[in-house]
Parts: sequence; structure tokens; C-alpha cells
Amino acid sequence: MGALKRDRMTKEERMIALLNRQPLDRVPVWGMMAGFAALNVGYTIADAYGRRGIEAVQWTAEQYGFQDVPIAGSLGVYEFGGEMSRPSGEFDQAPIVTRYPAATEEQARKLEVPDVRRAGLLPRCMETTKAMQRQGAEYLVLMLVGSWDMASYICSLENVCRWAVRKPDLVHNVLRVSTDFLLQVARYWADVIGPDRLIIFSPHAQTSNHVVSPKMFQEFCLPYIKETHHRVLDMGYKHILCHICGEHNLNLPFWAQIPMGEPGIVHFGHEVDLDVASKHFPSHILMGNVNTAVIQTGTPQQVYEMARACIEKGRRHPGGYMLAPGCEMPPRAPPHNVWTMMKAISDFGWYE
Amino acid sequence: MASDSRTKEMLKELHDAVLAFDEDRTTELCHTVLREGIDAYRAVAEGLSQGMNSASDRYEKMEYFVPELLLCSDALYAGLDILKPAVLASGKRTGTKGSIVIGVVEGDIHDIGKNLVKTMFEAAGWTVYDLGKDVKLERFVEEQARTNSEIVAISALMTTSMLAMPKAINMLREKGSKARVLVGGAPLNADVARKFGADGYAPSAATAVEEATKLIEALKKQRQQG
Repeated sequence: MGALKRDRMTKEERMIALLNRQPLDRVPVWGMMAGFAALNVGYTIADAYGRRGIEAVQWTAEQYGFQDVPIAGSLGVYEFGGEMSRPSGEFDQAPIVTRYPAATEEQARKLEVPDVRRAGLLPRCMETTKAMQRQGAEYLVLMLVGSWDMASYICSLENVCRWAVRKPDLVHNVLRVSTDFLLQVARYWADVIGPDRLIIFSPHAQTSNHVVSPKMFQEFCLPYIKETHHRVLDMGYKHILCHICGEHNLNLPFWAQIPMGEPGIVHFGHEVDLDVASKHFPSHILMGNVNTAVIQTGTPQQVYEMARACIEKGRRHPGGYMLAPGCEMPPRAPPHNVWTMMKAISDFGWYE
Repeated sequence: MASDSRTKEMLKELHDAVLAFDEDRTTELCHTVLREGIDAYRAVAEGLSQGMNSASDRYEKMEYFVPELLLCSDALYAGLDILKPAVLASGKRTGTKGSIVIGVVEGDIHDIGKNLVKTMFEAAGWTVYDLGKDVKLERFVEEQARTNSEIVAISALMTTSMLAMPKAINMLREKGSKARVLVGGAPLNADVARKFGADGYAPSAATAVEEATKLIEALKKQRQQG
């Protein structure tokens, strides 16, 4: 393995060109980094979820040639009155909920949308976005967790799953409040920052068919995601990056009905074949879907081959393609395996 | 004492009630079992447990998903709570298939999958020692030694927490444990499981019992030969 080809576009130029369907120097790569970036620059994994996480992502993106920018946004736990703890142990990866805001039916019934200008982590998230804007960032990212996922952070996934069968009205109430909250957050960011440069990052891990049936997806997820996306796009946002990791094959016809912008970005885990995804989303940018377990435990050759296969499939897709891990970059992934993804780009991802 | 045909009818109804995740009906039927003198052991083994096995089959076929399995599990446990005292009083043992220590590794609190696996083992007549979630690795070693369980089942849902698995397996081996280690969880696959030194891998709750049964048979054969 030799040296990598030198980029002919900056990270910003490449992203703007991708979103505007213009020619690119090479396939872009989004590292989906949080903990990996923090550890990469010598910080702790907990730092990924604080102020130091911003520079960690920026420095690591520069080092590897990734498109990543810091993502501002919250899961709803603090905002609705719950508590979380940051990762700290040897095997921790992400913050965990230590107290759900509405773990009982009565609490779920009484949920109200908090003031998004003051609640929980949102003031700090707004400061992050403003700081990025002051730095002159060409694109910024605001996270709006999907309503079903937010409901699971507010009430616990087990509760939401049980109630969806036993007490569907209760789940619809939580989803209604979650959706209203998300829309108010989007409105607030649009008013203060402006929607032009903001990409909405919308994760939906808990809606996979590892968890819910397509029927349940259709009843409890689809209407709220559709509504959120329609209204967010009406606010002037241009692009929604939908993070659909896990087994989503049975949900693909529903996802295809959901507006994501022109173009949107659809990010898949390794469970969804990119050729299949291409048929469902011909005009959106596809993103993914290198198996994170292979990045973590595989050999560099395995990562290289897997990235090559993704690049070759992605390049056939008419809407554009961005290489990425299928989910968050494993924080303790061997750095050489991560670099190998860029080696595969250098060898197979050039358009010129 | 209930007739054979009545017993069979009740076993089917218990099966169907668990499969339909009808907790109230399951409870009502279990009280009827006791009232009519139907063999409580058979009601558990051939009624409730078979209902959970059928639910597991439906999960494999993607006809049931996590919500349905959770509710079937609730119905199963509601029935077991009623029938277990009668089974124990009858002197018949339910934990005859083997024993298993199970837990979610340190750093990981995702336990829905582990709880469903636990339910499948209990439904299949195994004795289960559940360590819970975010389990310190030495607890797997201590509990296996205390219970002399044949299987240690370790679950992880994150690419970082799964790195605790090879460490836990090494700790078991260093202590001389002959138990077979079964691993599972979203980021794993058979290759990763092998690389971690696990003896078996279950891609879903539905396949865990079958995989553990194979491991325990191999273990027994090895003991007979050794």
C-alpha cells in the first residue's frame, strides 16, 4: 500500500459540490466519528460529548480527509427532565440514560414540550453551532433524532414497544410531543442560524426491523418522520441526512415515501445492499455502509475489500455516494483500518 | 385429576395464550390448571414454554418483532409465577436441560436482547443465572464457578463493549473453566465470535437455545471421552 492521491478539492468544496450535484474529485468519506475522534487526538471518550469533541472531530476529519463536522443536537433526555452519564469505562462507547424522563404511563401522559431556548443541553448546542458559524463553516449539522427514537430515550425502548401494542394512544402522545419538540428546535435554529448551511442529521436506529415490524413502522414512525421532514423542508432547510442503521430492508418502501430534501442523504448500515438502496432512492445521495464490526476487528485487507465493494456499488448510483461506516465509527477501531478506507478511496474512488 | 383430552386441550390453550401475548388469558388458564388438577409440570413444559417457542419461530420468520416477543415473555412469566410453586411441590424439576450464566458486558446497558434470550432458555427448561447488564467481567467468572454452569452467554450491543468479550473469555480460561461460551449482539457475527475465542454464536434470541444445546452436547461428549 503506497501513498494516497492528493485531494483536488477542499472538504467544503467537495461537500457543496456533492449537495449541488456537481462534479467531484473523488468519493467523499464521512467518518461518523465521536469517540474515535476524541481518542484519536488524545482526549478521553467522555470528551467526545463535551466542548473538546468539536476540535477532536475537526482535527481528525482534517487528518483523514473526512467530511465530518461537529454535530449539534440532543437526544431529548435532559430537555424532558431525565439524566444521562457520559462514557468513562474501558468498554463504554456513548452516553447512557440513567433516568428516563417519563418511565411511567402517568409521566408519559403528562409530557409537555420544554422551552427549546433554555432546556437541557440545547443552549450549549446553540453555542456550538454559533461558534462553527463564526469560524466560517460552509456547512453545519443539526441533529434532530427521529420521533420514535426520541420516545425511546424519553420513556425507554421497552416501554415504548409494550405500549405500542397495549396502549397505542399513549405512544402517539409521546410521539406527538417529541415531534413538536423537534419542530421547535428546527424553527429555533432556522431563526438564529438560518437554514441555508444547516444539514439536518436525523438518526433512526430504533426503527429498524431488528426492533419493530414494518406494520408498526407504518403506524408509529412513518407519519411523524414524514411530518417532521415536510415541515423542516418548509422552513428552508435543504438537505436531511437520514441515518437508517440496522436491518431496514422491509421498511425501505416506506422510507422512499419520506421527503429528505433535494437531494437528501440516506445512510445505511451493512444490512442494506447499496444496489437495493439505489433502486429505492435513485435521486438521493447514498451513504454507508462499511460494516463497523469489520472496521473494529477485521484485517486491513478485509476493510479495504469491503470499502472497495461499497465504492464500486456507490459509484454506480446516479444520485451520488459518500463512503462511511454503517454506524458510528468504533471509538477503539485500529487507526490503520480507518486509514485503509481512505486507501480504498485513493485506489477506486477517483472520478477524474 | 383431569382427563387426558382435557389436559391436551388446556396445553394447547396455554400455548395459544402465550403466543397471542394474552397475559390475562394465560393467568386465568393457569389458575384453571391448578383448580382442575392438571399436571403443572406439563402445563409449563408443554403449554407455556411451547407457546414461547412458537413465538420464537415467528420472530425468526419476521412475523413477530421485539414488541410481540416482550409481551409473549410477559405472559410466560405471569403463567410461571402461578405454576412454579405447584411444579416444585410435585418434585418434578424444570431445570434439567442445563444451566447457563448470562449477562450484558461491562459498559453496555442494552439488555432487551439478553432478556429475550433468558426467556428462551427458561422456556426451554434451563436453569438461568442472570447477572443483568453492565456486568463486571470477573462476575462472569465468579458466577460460573459458583454454579458450575455449562454455558456462559455474553451479550454486547456496541462495537466498543463487544471488546470486553475476548477479555471475559480469557479470564474464564485462565481460571480453568471448561464452560462453553456463547456470544451474541448486534455488532457480532460468526467470524468475530470465533476471533474473540467464543465457542458459539447466536445471531438472535431464537437461535440461542439451539446453539447452546449443541455446545452442551459437545461438552458432555468431551467429558465422557476425557
